[in-house]
Amino acid sequence: MHMLKFFLSIFVAAWFVVSAPEISQAGSLLQDLENALMCKCDDKCGKVLINCTCSTSDKTRAKFTKLLDSGLTVDQIIKSQVDKYGETVLSAPTKFGFNLTAWVMPFVALIAGGVGVRKIINSWIGKKQKPDSEDVPEEKSATPGKYSKRLQDELDGIEL
Amino acid sequence: MNDIGEFTLLVALATAIYGCVAYVMSARGNRIDLYLSADKTPLIVWGCVMISSICLWRGFLTNDFSLQYVWAYSNIELDTFYKVASFWGGQKGSLLFWTLLLTTYTVVVHFQNRKKNLRVVPYAMAVLFIIIIFFLFLVNFSTNPFERIPLPPEDGRGLNPLLQNYWMVIHPPTLYLGYVGFTVPFAFAVAALISKNLDDGWIRLTRKWTLISWFFLCMGNLFGASWAYVELGWGGYWAWDPVENAAFMPLLIATAFLHSVMIQEKKDMMKVWNMSLILLTFVMTIFGTFITRSGLIQSVHTFDEATLGYYFLAFLFVILFSCMALIIARLPLLKSENQLDSFLSRESSFLFNNLLLLGIAFATFWGTIFPIISEAVRGIKITVGPPFYNQVNVPIGLALLALVGIGPVIAWRRATVSNLKKNFFKPLAAAFIAAVALAPVIPLGSRVENYTYITFVLCVFVLACILIEFFKGTAARMGLHEESMFGALATVTWRNKRRYGGYIVHIGIVLIFAGIAGSQAYGTHVEKHLKTGETFKIRGYDITYEKLVAIEATSVKTRVIAQLQVERNGSHYWTARPEKEFYKGQNQPVSEVDVLSTWKEDLYMILADFRDDESATIKVYVNPMVSWMWTGGWVIAFGTMISMWPDRLEQRRRLERFRREETLFPSPAQE
Repeated sequence: MHMLKFFLSIFVAAWFVVSAPEISQAGSLLQDLENALMCKCDDKCGKVLINCTCSTSDKTRAKFTKLLDSGLTVDQIIKSQVDKYGETVLSAPTKFGFNLTAWVMPFVALIAGGVGVRKIINSWIGKKQKPDSEDVPEEKSATPGKYSKRLQDELDGIEL
Repeated sequence: MNDIGEFTLLVALATAIYGCVAYVMSARGNRIDLYLSADKTPLIVWGCVMISSICLWRGFLTNDFSLQYVWAYSNIELDTFYKVASFWGGQKGSLLFWTLLLTTYTVVVHFQNRKKNLRVVPYAMAVLFIIIIFFLFLVNFSTNPFERIPLPPEDGRGLNPLLQNYWMVIHPPTLYLGYVGFTVPFAFAVAALISKNLDDGWIRLTRKWTLISWFFLCMGNLFGASWAYVELGWGGYWAWDPVENAAFMPLLIATAFLHSVMIQEKKDMMKVWNMSLILLTFVMTIFGTFITRSGLIQSVHTFDEATLGYYFLAFLFVILFSCMALIIARLPLLKSENQLDSFLSRESSFLFNNLLLLGIAFATFWGTIFPIISEAVRGIKITVGPPFYNQVNVPIGLALLALVGIGPVIAWRRATVSNLKKNFFKPLAAAFIAAVALAPVIPLGSRVENYTYITFVLCVFVLACILIEFFKGTAARMGLHEESMFGALATVTWRNKRRYGGYIVHIGIVLIFAGIAGSQAYGTHVEKHLKTGETFKIRGYDITYEKLVAIEATSVKTRVIAQLQVERNGSHYWTARPEKEFYKGQNQPVSEVDVLSTWKEDLYMILADFRDDESATIKVYVNPMVSWMWTGGWVIAFGTMISMWPDRLEQRRRLERFRREETLFPSPAQE
C-alpha cells in the first residue's frame, strides 16, 4: 500500500510538471514564439528559432514582432505557422492525441522501472532474512540486547 | 603515397580478418601456435592504419587535391592547424580516424594483456577485431578517403567555416576517444560471456578503460557545449540536437555502469545488469554514429552522405541480438546470491541512481526517435526540441542530484534511524539554511525559477554531504596521526583515491548543475540597432557602439568587426569586438562572438547585422554562472585523474585476493 502511494505521488508530481503551463524565462511574447517554433530556413538547419542565427530567422523574428504589434496573440501566430508548415514547425509535440505518448512514456517507463527496482530489492531482502532467521537463532539470542544494538551501530558506521 | 595509403588499408583488413580467426581458433582449440601467430596482428593492423592516416594527413598538408576528400575539406589558404583537423572534418576521414583510435586502443590492450588472462584475452581481441573489420570494410569499400579526382582542381572547396575554430582540433578527438574507448570494456564483457569467466575479473581488468572512456565522453560533451557557445552565436551551449543527444545517452548509461559495478565488486551481485549496461553503452555509441551518418534525423552535425547509416544500423542489430542471445545463454551462470539487508542502504541508492540515469537516457532516446515513430504511425513528421527535453529531464535530473548527495553518505548494508540522523542532520540543516537564505534573494514564480531554486538548495545539500565526508576522514586521520589539516586531507584522499576522487567528480557535477540552473533562469538579452556613438544599458553595463572595421583577412575570408566599449559604475570595464566572417563561396556568414567571462556572469556580444552607413545590430546576452559549468568540467577531470591514479595499496589488495583465489583466469599452460 505504501509503495502504491509512493509511486502514485511520483506520477501525480510528474503529471503536474508535464501539464503545468510553460512560462517563458524573460516573459516576452517574442521569446515565447522563438521557443515554441522551429526555424524554417532553406538550409533546414533544424534549430529552434531562439537558437538560430541565420538570415531567415532574423526575418522571421522581425515578422513576428510586427504581427505581435498588430495585436495578434502568441497562440494565433503559432496556429498560423502550423497551418502553413504543418506540425513540424512546433519545437515540441502537442500534448494531445498520439503526441501525448511522447510526454507520458518516459514517466511510465520510470515508474515501471521504479516498481521493478522496488520488487527486486524486496526479493533480495527476503532472501537475506530467511536464512538468518532459520540458521542462527541461538547466536542472536545469546548476545545481550544492549551489546547487539551497540555492535549494530558500530557496524553501520563502518565504511567498507 | 596515396596508393600506399589505399594499399595499407587493404592489408590491415586482411590482417584483421586473419587475427580474428586465429584468436578464436587459438582459444577454442587451446593452440598456443595460433595464439603466438595472432599475437603479431594487432601491431600490424595498427601500423597499416597509421601509415594510411599519415598518407591522408600528407595529402592535406601538401594540398593534394587529386584526393576527392582533401579537395572537399581543405584549400590552399586553410591554416595548417585546420588542415590537420580536416582529417576528421568529413565522413570518410572521420571513419579512418575512428579506425586509427580503435586500432591504437587494441594495441594497448594487446600489450597490457598478451601474457596473462589467456582464457579471456583471445576472445576480447577477437571481438575488438570484429569491430575493426567493420570499420576497415567501410573505409575500404564504402567511404574510401583515397578516392581520386581524374583531373585535380587547382584549389579545394575548403573546410566549413563553422568548423574553423580551435575546438575543432579538441572536441571531435575527445568525443571519439570516449566513444571508441567503450569498445574495450564491451569486448572484455563479451569475452567473459563466451569464455564463461563471469566473476568480476572483466570489470577489474577494464575499470580504468571504462573510467578513461567515461572521462573523454564527459569532456567531449562539455567541449562540444563550449564550442557551440562560442561559435554558433545564439548565447546558449546545449540545444538537445539529436547528435548531442547521441553523445549524451552513452554517457548516462556508462555513468550508471560505473556505479553499479561497485556493487558487483563488493557484493558479487547484479552481474546480468552490468553486462546489459556495458552492452547498452556500446550499442548507444553505434546508435549515435548511425544518427550522425544516416541523415534520418535532422541535425546540425550530420554528414553529407546518408547511405552509410544503413551499414551502422545492420551492425547495430547484429551486435544487439548476438549479445542478447549470449547473455540469455549464460543466464544460469550469471545468477548470483543476491541479498540485501535493508531497503535503506547504499546498495538501494545505487539501484535508484541507475534507474534515474537510465530514465533520463530513455527520455532522451524516446525524444530523439519520436519524430520517426510519429512519421511511421501518423505519417506526420514532428519536431522534438528543447522544450520537451527540459520539461521531462529536469525533474528526473533533480532527483538524481539529490541521490548524488544521499549515495555516498548512506551506509552500506543497512541504514538505521540513528545513523540516518547522524549522517544527514548536518547536510539537511545546510540545505534548510540555504533554502531560507535564498528564498528572499532569488526570484520565484515561473517553473524555471522554481526549478532553479530547488537546484541550488540541492547543490548545497550535496556539497555539504561531500564536504562532511572529507572532514570526517581528515579529522579521523588527524586524531590518529600528528598531521596538519591539509596534510591529513591529502593523505586521506591519496590513500582512498577511488572514493575521494569520486567525491571530487561529484563536486564537479554539482558545479555543472548550478551553472546550468543559473544560466537558464537568470539570463537576459537585448538586441539593439545602433549608430556609432550610441549607448544602451543592460544589467548595469553601459555599452557604447564605437565603430565598424572591415579587414581582408585572407583571399577567401573577410572579417567585419564591431568595436564596443563597456562601462560599469562609470569606469571602463571591457572593449568588446564581436565580428562576422564572410567566406568566399559560402552563403551564410559566420558569427564570431566576443565573451567576457567571470565567475558571476558572462557578457556575451554578437554582431547580428550591419549596414553600409556603419550602423550595426548588436545582440548582448548576460548569462549568469556559465563559467561554473566549465569549472565543473575541470573539477571532474581532476577527480577522474585521482580516481585513475595507480594505487599501490589497491594493487596489493588485489594481488592478495588473486592469490587467495589462485588465479583469475589461469592460462592454458596452468590448466
